[in-house]
Amino acid sequence: MIQALLFIASAAGIGTAPGASAVAFVLPSEERVRVLATIPDLAGFVREIGGERVDVDSISRGKEDLHSVTARPSSLVAMSRADMFVEVGLSLEIAFVPGLLHSCRNARVQPGSPGFVSVAQGWTVSKAPAVLSRQAGDVHPQGNPHINLDPRAGLHMATQVYEGLVRVDPGSKALYDARFEGLVLRLKQAQTRWSAMAEDWKGRKVATYHSEYDYLIEAYGLESVGTLESKPGIPPTPKHLSELVANMKSGGCDAILSAQWSNNDTLARVSEAAGVQAVVLPNQCAGMKGADDWVGMMDLIHDRLEQAFAKSAATK
Amino acid sequence: MPSVPSQAKQAGPDSGQADRFSNAFNPAFSFIVDAALDYVDLDSGSDEDGFDLSLRILEVASQAWVDPSAWAYFVGAAEEEGLNIEEAAVHYVGLGSQTTLRAGRFFIDFGKQMQTHVHELRTLERPLALRAYLGDEVKGDGVQYDQWAAVGDKSALRWSLGVFANLLPEEAAYPVADVALEIDERKDLGDLNFTGRVTAFRDVSENGTLQLGASARIIPEYTVLDEVNDLSEAELGNEVFGVDLTYGWIDDTGQRRWTLGVEALANSGDIELSVLDPDGTPANGDESLNVKDETVFGFYGFLDYAWSKYRSAGVQYSRATLSDAAETELSEIELYTTRWLSEYHRLRLVGVWSNDDTADEDSYRVALQYTAIIGSHGHGINW
Ligand SMILES: [Zn+2]
Repeated sequence: MIQALLFIASAAGIGTAPGASAVAFVLPSEERVRVLATIPDLAGFVREIGGERVDVDSISRGKEDLHSVTARPSSLVAMSRADMFVEVGLSLEIAFVPGLLHSCRNARVQPGSPGFVSVAQGWTVSKAPAVLSRQAGDVHPQGNPHINLDPRAGLHMATQVYEGLVRVDPGSKALYDARFEGLVLRLKQAQTRWSAMAEDWKGRKVATYHSEYDYLIEAYGLESVGTLESKPGIPPTPKHLSELVANMKSGGCDAILSAQWSNNDTLARVSEAAGVQAVVLPNQCAGMKGADDWVGMMDLIHDRLEQAFAKSAATK
Repeated sequence: MPSVPSQAKQAGPDSGQADRFSNAFNPAFSFIVDAALDYVDLDSGSDEDGFDLSLRILEVASQAWVDPSAWAYFVGAAEEEGLNIEEAAVHYVGLGSQTTLRAGRFFIDFGKQMQTHVHELRTLERPLALRAYLGDEVKGDGVQYDQWAAVGDKSALRWSLGVFANLLPEEAAYPVADVALEIDERKDLGDLNFTGRVTAFRDVSENGTLQLGASARIIPEYTVLDEVNDLSEAELGNEVFGVDLTYGWIDDTGQRRWTLGVEALANSGDIELSVLDPDGTPANGDESLNVKDETVFGFYGFLDYAWSKYRSAGVQYSRATLSDAAETELSEIELYTTRWLSEYHRLRLVGVWSNDDTADEDSYRVALQYTAIIGSHGHGINW
């Protein structure tokens, strides 16, 4: 990433290994499956489905802007030893995944191998551009990649993880099946709970710092007033912010949603100028109290939104 | 339970192999534009004072996999005479484990700053000590073996060994008189040049990483030519050694970063070159080349702070003793602030104060640098 300690290795930079041949690795039954996930949300699904059979870690720790995570030496070591690697995909982790995949030289986790899992695979992408260009913003070139913040995406992500585990460790399928079944039930119950909470959220107006919460907005029919960034990954400009504040003042806005990484002076200034509350939400698991796993994180997001909308309604 | 997805896909209308102009397997390309508007003020009040707007670099880079075990890249830079091939190399990764064999023309693996192109640096130029002992950039035609291994769960160790035909810089940063340095064209083993680096990289806390490294560039044999006086001296040698330390700290949100780096350098061998001319009139036969074996030292250190992913500032200080008879002491301090307009282009304001301690002369330079990186670019691991 920009100004990261890890720079481009060679002048020409580095690409991802080409479709590595799909070699089947049979894991000895006494050895645990070593899994590396990019974000704690995915590590949580691995843990929930794999139980004692897996040994899982995540690269991001819970509070980062996922577009600017830096790989550490320990990430490279973990990647070189992993039996399975799980990412979101859609360029979300492009700041650190290509370099790690390239340097780790672990054939088990290269794209195309059984141990490579991109949970975005098969997902219907929001705001997928018709033409691939940086003109639309430079960090969401393949559409919005923040699918871990879609309350409807739990089952899809969990299924991708489950399928990956079965591929790399077919001998433990019975264990994975049983645990996956429990997770599916938990996810369905949670989704019913969240839908009930969000029943009257349709038409609520929100602004966001970065377009991380677009899937949430879409899921409940919220109305987006705009983003503080002029385009995804393009820093806020004074002109853009003053237009946004004017829009919020004239058209109304219930809350400005931000993650911990974007809870900064700019957010505070806009919140004050527009007279709109700023609501800090998790953008991944493990960074806030209560957001230990994906269901917990979504519960926290729904609770905070419910409180924010109630507060906004009370002041109107 | 869901079934494992099948990789099978129905062949589409483009599945016939009828088009030799298909671009599906073309390499990834990128362009780099680096321009600087600068103002220079020399103590001597020379003609070089004043404003200048220069397109420093217009670079085109390309990379692609050759087959499953090799990838290749090239970097060309536009220069007045045409396109100059800065780097062009193949990386062979088919040896297994974590090894890479690189062959072609490429930048040497020395410290943290010699492998990168100048527009990728956090400062306007490479540190003074590197420029003085190694050159603005050092590339060579050769072969390099590279390997890394995990040490425990938190450390990685990497080492490399390079063998090159020629590693002398095309232009010495501080040319000595009108003496040109040359390496004999015909090689036996003693005429080859070598580089080596070993580095360890480790998580030292939840937010900190530490890297230690040692590098060497060895030129066992070279020849000095003085065309003006028709003099030459063969069988000279030169070694440059460096040790480097880099500490990086990143806050929990990945926004604020501190980076501290130092590298100490020693330049050793037959490096003090001078032309003795008793009557002061060149090329009348009384001149002689004087070469002395000695070791000089230099270093640089920098501190960089990024308070968001778009803004950073820092300071770099470098000092080097030259290998001339006067043992000239040079120092340079560079202050800079960088503003990324997005991930793909940036503006940088730089102030450089250079000092020749021996002659007690100062010069100042203020520059506004603009760099754009267009097209594919990756974030690899530089260590
Ligand atoms: Zn994003």
